[in-house]
Amino acid sequence: MIHHFVRAVILAGFAFMIVYLFRTEQMTLYIAPRMELLVKLTALGLYAASVYQVYAALQARLRRHNHPHTENCGCGQSHHKSPFKNAVMYGLFIFPLLLVFLVPAGTLGSALAEKKGISFTGSETVSRSVADNKPSTAWHDQSPATQADEQPSLSPTLEQLFPYDEYTADHAKLGMELYKQSLITVPDKQFIETLTTLDLYRGALLGKEVEISGFVYREEEMGSGKMAVSRFAMNCCSADALPYGLMTLWPKAGHYAEDEWVTVRGKLTLTQYGENEIIAIEAIKVERIPAPESPYVYPDLEFGL
Amino acid sequence: MQKLLYRLGTPVLGAGCLVMLALIVVNRNAPEALLSLFSAANLQSFHILFVSILLEAFPFIMIGVIFSALLQVFVSDETIRRFTPRHPILGIVFGGLLGIIFPLCECGMIPVIRRLIRKGMPAYIGIVYLLAGPIVNPIVFSSTYLAFRSTPELAYARMALGLAVATVIGFLLVKFLKASPLIGVHNEGSLHREGRLPVIKRGRLNKWSSTLAHASDEFFDMGKYLIIGALLTAVIQTVVDRGTIAAFAEQPLLSYLFMMVFAFILSICSTSDAFIASSFGGIFTSGPLLAFLVFGPMIDLKNMLMMLSTFKVKIVLILIALAFTLTLAGAALAEVLL
Repeated sequence: MIHHFVRAVILAGFAFMIVYLFRTEQMTLYIAPRMELLVKLTALGLYAASVYQVYAALQARLRRHNHPHTENCGCGQSHHKSPFKNAVMYGLFIFPLLLVFLVPAGTLGSALAEKKGISFTGSETVSRSVADNKPSTAWHDQSPATQADEQPSLSPTLEQLFPYDEYTADHAKLGMELYKQSLITVPDKQFIETLTTLDLYRGALLGKEVEISGFVYREEEMGSGKMAVSRFAMNCCSADALPYGLMTLWPKAGHYAEDEWVTVRGKLTLTQYGENEIIAIEAIKVERIPAPESPYVYPDLEFGL
Repeated sequence: MQKLLYRLGTPVLGAGCLVMLALIVVNRNAPEALLSLFSAANLQSFHILFVSILLEAFPFIMIGVIFSALLQVFVSDETIRRFTPRHPILGIVFGGLLGIIFPLCECGMIPVIRRLIRKGMPAYIGIVYLLAGPIVNPIVFSSTYLAFRSTPELAYARMALGLAVATVIGFLLVKFLKASPLIGVHNEGSLHREGRLPVIKRGRLNKWSSTLAHASDEFFDMGKYLIIGALLTAVIQTVVDRGTIAAFAEQPLLSYLFMMVFAFILSICSTSDAFIASSFGGIFTSGPLLAFLVFGPMIDLKNMLMMLSTFKVKIVLILIALAFTLTLAGAALAEVLL
């Protein structure tokens, strides 16, 4: 009977943990919005199971009054387990509950970004070779005269600035949109996609004004004049979150502490990082901001669809 | 008590060795790395990772245990026997493609498979489903396709290799697996519980209440392994530095081994692992990525612990060895072909 009660408490504990995390708006720290409904339904299921355990406990008690305690009394499987084993097992379940209710959660920051390895070029699967190679062939194939004849509008030059193949078509389209803006703000909704586009079409977008918000990430090798403005991108849960960032050149970068949230505005430029040349912001303005409610960004699954 | 030590001892020891191995690989001395876990920032990372893995897995475990309990209470053994093909080849194909109809995640699958095998489905079909199901299913296909937009052939290769590895293991099981792979009556309470089921009066209310009873029993059964798995995974993710390990990418064989070991310790759901793999796109060629995408869903730390709750240690070890070798060979072959 005691087992049913312990189980009821643990199951209800998990259900309340889920409700508590939603109520205190901490849920976004752990899982992505598209998982939220599933987790809410799980809370319902846990709650139902907990109520059942109470019912079973009462029933077992009732039955024990009538019959002696036997193997068939239906009071759970735990007769033949030692108390120690049970204590260890229930302790395991109580540990995450204590962690959630007693220890305040922060957000993922520089410490984990360093372990996971930050990406400064947006998504790695879209390779820049396409964008790099195509313009040269495009330029050579079409003489300026034929272009002018066929399409007198501005778009041919735009098309040449943003060459694409079937896989980078969506990024090229986004690139063209960004190209027309006087200030490119890297949005939360398409954070990775925008970074990827900036990197992919760096040739065309160099010198444009860019604004980005994120936490400060720093590596020793960067020196005092550089920092990265970064975000964690999450797919389902924080365990699969990966850090993406944009390098920022700012003489006073050293004044900002790691994990401090900032908004940076500046011109898109290039800088050396290890052996690679990566995109960076030559900052004009750096501003401290409060940490946003949702510190993560999510890949836009509808991007290009 | 001794049994507990024996049962838990092996996996914990294995995990301990893995942690040590990882630390050696990262070229740091163990005490320092473990101490670094206790810095404030790392504790915070650990906290978030651990809880998030649990929260993400709970819904799928829930679906799994409810489905399994419904099977137990509402579907008779005869029905299961009638629906499972008798011929081994048909059975293996059936097991391999079952994931398309029942796209369960690997955490939710184990209770369902245990139930199906107990109800008379041939064990090899269950194991083929266990291995292929988390890969060959529409949800995983679409997420892989999304993650690898620019190389969709990788998504197809993942499906094909997953099915192939599971099929080969299926044939080996048909040939060599004679005894039941499940842990016997004495180690687990479940069979004993079923034994006294008929005692309960049959009625609609009783059927539902025994569904709930089964579901919550199994939730605790699976849950303890999930929590240990999530705990280890979170510790490893917090302590081990991925950047320095990526140096392996240059040596072909090591890059495969690295990606497979990485998939093992990461223990994330097969629906989201493609996004992790795609973040390695710039570093690794398609072979190691494929190895990651196929081996991870079949075998990982979290699900190994859950398998040990159901299958005999020997069977689990054999499955790990087979899945490892076959995936390695298949991915290397695919690298040449793609």
